[in-house]
Amino acid sequence: MRLPPDELLIAIALGAYVLGAVALMFYFFARAEVLRKIGIPLAILGCAAQFAQLAVRFELTHVWPLLNLYGSLSLFSAMSVAIYIGFAFRYRLWFAGGFVLALAAIFLAYGVTWYEGTMPPVPSLQSYWAKIHVPIVVSSYAAFLVAFVFSCIYLLKFYLERRLHGVAPDPATSPVERWLNALPSLAQLDVIVYRAIAIGLPLISIGIITGAMWAKEAWGAYWQWDPKETAALFSWIVYLAYMHLHTRHAWRGLRTSWVSVVGFISIIFCYLGVNIWISGLHSYKV
Amino acid sequence: MSAARALYGEFVRTFGNVLFAVSLFVVWGFLTLVGVIVDQGQEPAAYFQNYAAPIARAILRLNFDDVYHSPWYVGIIGLILLSLAVCTFKRVIPARLPALRPVNVAKIPLHDAFETAGEAEQVRRRLTRILTARGWQVRERIFGGVEWSFGDKHNWARRGVLVAHAGFVIIAAGTTLYWARGFSGEFALPAGQTTQVRQTHALIRLDKFAYRIDPIMTKSGMVYQPIDYVSKVTVTGRDGVPKRYTVRVNHPIDVDGTLYYQASYGFGMRFLVTRRGRRDAALSSRTFLEGDTLQLPGTQRSILYERFAPTVDKQSGMPTADPRVNDPAVVLAASEGGTPLGEALVPLGAAVDLGDGWRLTPRRYVLYSGFQYRYDPGAPLVGIGAFVLLAGLVISFYFLPARLFVRVDEVSPRRSRVGAAATTVKGYDVFASEFDRLAATLRREFGAEPDIG
Ligand code: HEM
Repeated sequence: MRLPPDELLIAIALGAYVLGAVALMFYFFARAEVLRKIGIPLAILGCAAQFAQLAVRFELTHVWPLLNLYGSLSLFSAMSVAIYIGFAFRYRLWFAGGFVLALAAIFLAYGVTWYEGTMPPVPSLQSYWAKIHVPIVVSSYAAFLVAFVFSCIYLLKFYLERRLHGVAPDPATSPVERWLNALPSLAQLDVIVYRAIAIGLPLISIGIITGAMWAKEAWGAYWQWDPKETAALFSWIVYLAYMHLHTRHAWRGLRTSWVSVVGFISIIFCYLGVNIWISGLHSYKV
Repeated sequence: MSAARALYGEFVRTFGNVLFAVSLFVVWGFLTLVGVIVDQGQEPAAYFQNYAAPIARAILRLNFDDVYHSPWYVGIIGLILLSLAVCTFKRVIPARLPALRPVNVAKIPLHDAFETAGEAEQVRRRLTRILTARGWQVRERIFGGVEWSFGDKHNWARRGVLVAHAGFVIIAAGTTLYWARGFSGEFALPAGQTTQVRQTHALIRLDKFAYRIDPIMTKSGMVYQPIDYVSKVTVTGRDGVPKRYTVRVNHPIDVDGTLYYQASYGFGMRFLVTRRGRRDAALSSRTFLEGDTLQLPGTQRSILYERFAPTVDKQSGMPTADPRVNDPAVVLAASEGGTPLGEALVPLGAAVDLGDGWRLTPRRYVLYSGFQYRYDPGAPLVGIGAFVLLAGLVISFYFLPARLFVRVDEVSPRRSRVGAAATTVKGYDVFASEFDRLAATLRREFGAEPDIG
């Protein structure tokens, strides 16, 4: 059986992410250079295949491919990997790639389960705002995913270090300690989380603003307290709290990392929870 | 008097504290989440149906059925604004533009020191040139006989937080303006009828309404996808001149500053109502919208026109999912003195016996169009506020104000010691790698040994 080109590209992306995730996950623990050298091209290949898939799908159907859960989850995973690749090249952070690729693969695979074929958009989605608003919002989610991964690594390092310092007789010779030392310092990890949120927070703000402009056109009011809008506002408030806590030295690091984790959970709730479980103007499931 | 001053001091300390602001955000977030989880704007009965009675009662008592307009929500936004104002004027402004002062270089985590050949004055001038070329704005001051060079990067961006805070205040002002002076509403208009909008007195006639729904085969079956809703209207606004417009989803019309939107549609129904074979003129000439009730004169009996069923399956006699009008019927519910008697699906053209000689026949449907309208004088302000807020966020995140403290001391007539330290508004870690690069550049430029630190 021959797969249509867009489905073939999705299969390539999924395959590349899964293999890349395995390679980079092992790299995270073992730090063997060869694993990194396998993982990087796979991450790039998967990401490129995904963007190509979106373009091909648009070319084949002439329907903007992001207006359903399948399309937007696909962009979400592609953008997560793209932002991560940017970070990894800039700050040399390939050690975290396994987690990002694994999450990207999960979200992409989940998106595929929502694939229903081609549908023309409903009238409220037939707007140029859809083309602006959706990619921006989804990109902000992707930046928060990257922040979430580094927050988790921060927390892992923090709690492991705390345990080891209480227990290990000679921390310098413990393999776990050596592995922990190979990770960036807690302060550096905190700066990475901050930089990812510095991408996500302005983007989600632009997303909310463009959404409001679109809502004004489609539904008559820029703000309707629709569950999707309010869930996005909730996430925005969480990251606003993050940003304010981050201005305080004593709260920077451990506590802000937890806030970033809560923030990402709220993003997933806003993105998937509201779309799937809570009905409202924004529930475009198909 | 001093008690009042102490109280004021306490107020400023509390409201000016960023952790207090974060606690307000937590409450704000919680209330926002309540509105996502609890369906808003339902009838009380709906809450008792969906939740256990104590929870439903709590929802209604706490105004959680309309949380965003509740005193809690308005109150928390008010407290945030108050806290923001106190904090901005009492803490941020005084602290954000610090005066040029000497520091103990070695005590600042980001610091470096090295010795180099050359007279102090010469080294200082060269330093200024190097820093200026790298985008630092350098100012020189003498404190206690020691000459200091202060370098600033993105000094202007220290105001980013003020910009962000101002944006939020402007948004709040815009929303308040809508509450004070704006209005909104909705109306449903059957084709051929005219209505007058209560607040604007504009006359709106629906000339025609049309919609398009396409059946589309998806992987999980047939889906009926709405493609277009179009209302052709004639509107008489303030100038008294009737004008024709087309209103579509995403394409509202603006009449004297009020915007009218295509919001929904439905099927109005004309019934033939007879008593003992004689037509009831009043009931038979009315168009009933879905949800309207028809009261039979001289009886306790009423008939609710519940909804329109565009397509009824011939075999099962049940309504199908196809929203296009093929074999239409109406769902009617009868009640006697408020007590439900039953429901019936009645095809168009079929008569039902309502008792006491009354008969009713759904005769024909008339499409109606649902419109929303809104006059929002605060919208431009909210728009401006949103962009100001965004600008504040971008400035705060992408233009890190950093200050460099450099002193050059003479070690011997031809040798100087350079000490440099840096602070930023976001601590030291965000600037650590940039400072390391700068220190390395300075050492290279001055041919310094890498080991003195
Ligand atoms: C809800 C609306 C608010 C928004 C959008 C907002 C936005 C911002 C932004 C963008 C920054 C700069 C952050 C940085 O430089 O990393 C900031 C900092 C700050 N905000 Fe807010 N803020 C809000 C409310 C408040 C409130 C209610 C307070 C009251 C205490 C407050 C106090 C502060 C403080 C103390 C800083 C740090 C200033 C510094 O680093 O010197 N903010 N805010």
